[in-house]
Amino acid sequence: MNVTVAANNAAELKEERIQLVSFNLGNEEHGIDVLKVREIIRMSNITRVPNTPTYVEGVINLRGKVIPIISLRNKFNLPDAENDGRTRIIVMDMANELMGFIVDSVAEVVRIAVSEIQPPPPIVTSGVDQECISGVIDHGERLLVLLDLERMFSPEERQSFTEGLA
Amino acid sequence: MSINCEDRELLEGFLTETGELLEKADDDLINLEKSPDDMELLNRIFRSVHTVKGAASFLEFELLVKVTHKTEDVLNRLRKGELAVNNRIMDVILEAMDLVKILVDDIRKENIVERPIEGTIARLEAVLAGEIDGPAPAVAAGSGTTAPPDVAEKTPADNGTPPDAAAAPPVAETAPAVAAREPAPTVAAPAAAGKEAIDKSTIRIDVKRVDDLMNQVGELVLERNRMSHLNGDCLGRMQMDMFADEFGKLVKRISFITSELQMQVLKIRLVPVGNVFKKFPRIVRNLARDLGKQVDLQIFGEDTELDRSVVDEIGDPLIHLVRNALDHALESADERLAAGKPRVGTVTLSARHEGNNIIISIKDDGRGMNSEKLAAKALEKGIVSSEQLAAMGQKDIFDLIFLPGFSTKEKVSDLSGRGVGMDVVRTNVKKLNGIIEVKSEMGKGSEFILKLPLTLAIIQSLMVEIEGETYSIPLSAVVETLRVKEEEFSSVGGREVLRLRKSALPLMRLQERFGITEQRTDGGFRYVVVVGIAEKRLGLVVTRLLGQQEVAIKSLGNYLADVPGIAGSTILGDGKVALIVDPAKLIDGSEADAFRQAASF
Repeated sequence: MNVTVAANNAAELKEERIQLVSFNLGNEEHGIDVLKVREIIRMSNITRVPNTPTYVEGVINLRGKVIPIISLRNKFNLPDAENDGRTRIIVMDMANELMGFIVDSVAEVVRIAVSEIQPPPPIVTSGVDQECISGVIDHGERLLVLLDLERMFSPEERQSFTEGLA
Repeated sequence: MSINCEDRELLEGFLTETGELLEKADDDLINLEKSPDDMELLNRIFRSVHTVKGAASFLEFELLVKVTHKTEDVLNRLRKGELAVNNRIMDVILEAMDLVKILVDDIRKENIVERPIEGTIARLEAVLAGEIDGPAPAVAAGSGTTAPPDVAEKTPADNGTPPDAAAAPPVAETAPAVAAREPAPTVAAPAAAGKEAIDKSTIRIDVKRVDDLMNQVGELVLERNRMSHLNGDCLGRMQMDMFADEFGKLVKRISFITSELQMQVLKIRLVPVGNVFKKFPRIVRNLARDLGKQVDLQIFGEDTELDRSVVDEIGDPLIHLVRNALDHALESADERLAAGKPRVGTVTLSARHEGNNIIISIKDDGRGMNSEKLAAKALEKGIVSSEQLAAMGQKDIFDLIFLPGFSTKEKVSDLSGRGVGMDVVRTNVKKLNGIIEVKSEMGKGSEFILKLPLTLAIIQSLMVEIEGETYSIPLSAVVETLRVKEEEFSSVGGREVLRLRKSALPLMRLQERFGITEQRTDGGFRYVVVVGIAEKRLGLVVTRLLGQQEVAIKSLGNYLADVPGIAGSTILGDGKVALIVDPAKLIDGSEADAFRQAASF
């Protein structure tokens, strides 16, 4: 998380604010660091790539660059849903590589104070990979689940992803 | 100790200029050894060293000044005729030049070390004092003329890094083979100096190429203007068919200009393969002396150009192959005479264009490869089973050398024989989308042929449709296309094959391979694209052929880099992404799956 205020003072530290993009998956709301989000686009033609895990929907052409698209619903073991007018692809910068994530809809950008972040609850929530959850936040009436998507792609996972295929 | 140089630009300038001078001097020194009386060469080398010394002095690089000063003295005597060029003096000069390279490299890395230069200085002074004179006696190592080694013994690295020390030219038949081991300049990795002297982040371009590019850009600007004009002024006022006409012409011209631009930009990235080849005279000279063999290195086609990134990567594999040729393939002078061959072995390094590829060949007239010995060794190491061996032809047995862990050399020398070299060579060549083949004849010699694509980014492709999805197959791998009835497919050993002119072509149904749901087929006809790499063939079954097209390869990124069977992607005219098939991987995969069918029915 980028710190705009370099604070040594603990009191000031509590006021450190970050911005999140909140999006919906099923009936849950999630948030990710806005600084990692490159752009948010509508669904477009996805070219299937054979021999990839089911959650890899394929690739798209993003202004001349070919980037992989992951279905978060699938990755988090939620039932598939029809793409509608609100479905979006969030293009993120994952360790210098662009990747797109399909979400049901994108809500808004929220500002929260770092102090508001609570540690993730110990129970597994609807199949979201536990490693990805970096915290939860009470946001109004909703519970916003903070995700760190980079953790989704551990080296071991990528290893198994390519092995044992064809 | 780090550099305290106030003017950064000055330092950069020094490094660039010195780098160039040293490279040129290297070339000249090699040529000098071949033609010792060439005054022009001598003068040029002298001037280069003199310039480096001057610049070093100005920037107060003391060690460098000391070494270049002494070297300059020696060169001065040579060009004045007070000393005559010979093997031993050349050795010392080359040693000094290597040391200079190391020192310059230290400066470049901004870490000036106290290198021990005394040994080299002492030898230079010995030359000046007239102590080193005349060709060395043909005796074994340890002859008294070499200065006491206060330096580390030369340790040629085995994984393809270019060796340190002296250089290369053909050793004349009359000159005795010098077997004395000269201690090389100090550091354990002077190899690094040679390699890093080549700046990898910048490129030298012929001004003419840049001008041509500018011209094309100018043309493009004109077309853009015409396009604006057509769009703005004419629309509405213009008849539809006239618009279509004008637009059609515009498209033609822009297509042409784009192609030209594309070619020109690619050309800019091309460098002559000679940049890599020129390392070899020194390497060969070095190795030949170490091994006590006489070798004549011939180089052809240095002007052949290839993409810069390929040049960077091809050096190591080539070095390994040349080392192999010298170490394993070439016999000693006596053996050769006994076999009725000339004393001096010949290694030929050549490059040429062939279609869209560059062919690099390393040929030797040594003892050739013994397929029985190879087969035996492979069996012994458990790399193949006897059943597999029985099915192999000579060519396949030769191919065994590329497998990891294979080496027929009983004694692992410093130079080769650890069995890691050849498979690394092949891997490197594959990384460049190339292939490597070996031809050999017992008693006559061997030839390693590398075939590399000229441009990595743009390829001719055969567009195909597989159950509604569009794929691209690199045309360079396509041998032929066939339209056959599905009934003609047969099955051998559980695999589908097609009888094609007396042999069985293994088939691969791409829609199965890629997990695409099969739709209704029509009329039982299938299209088979026969792809081939070297001698291997595979028939890819697709639904429809769409046509031929030039496509720009787009990487799939790191995340999807290892998807089996897919080499990359491209963007079609309609903006959609199409995947590019990797024929080589598919062929390998199909072999690994099953027994290879031998041949006829």
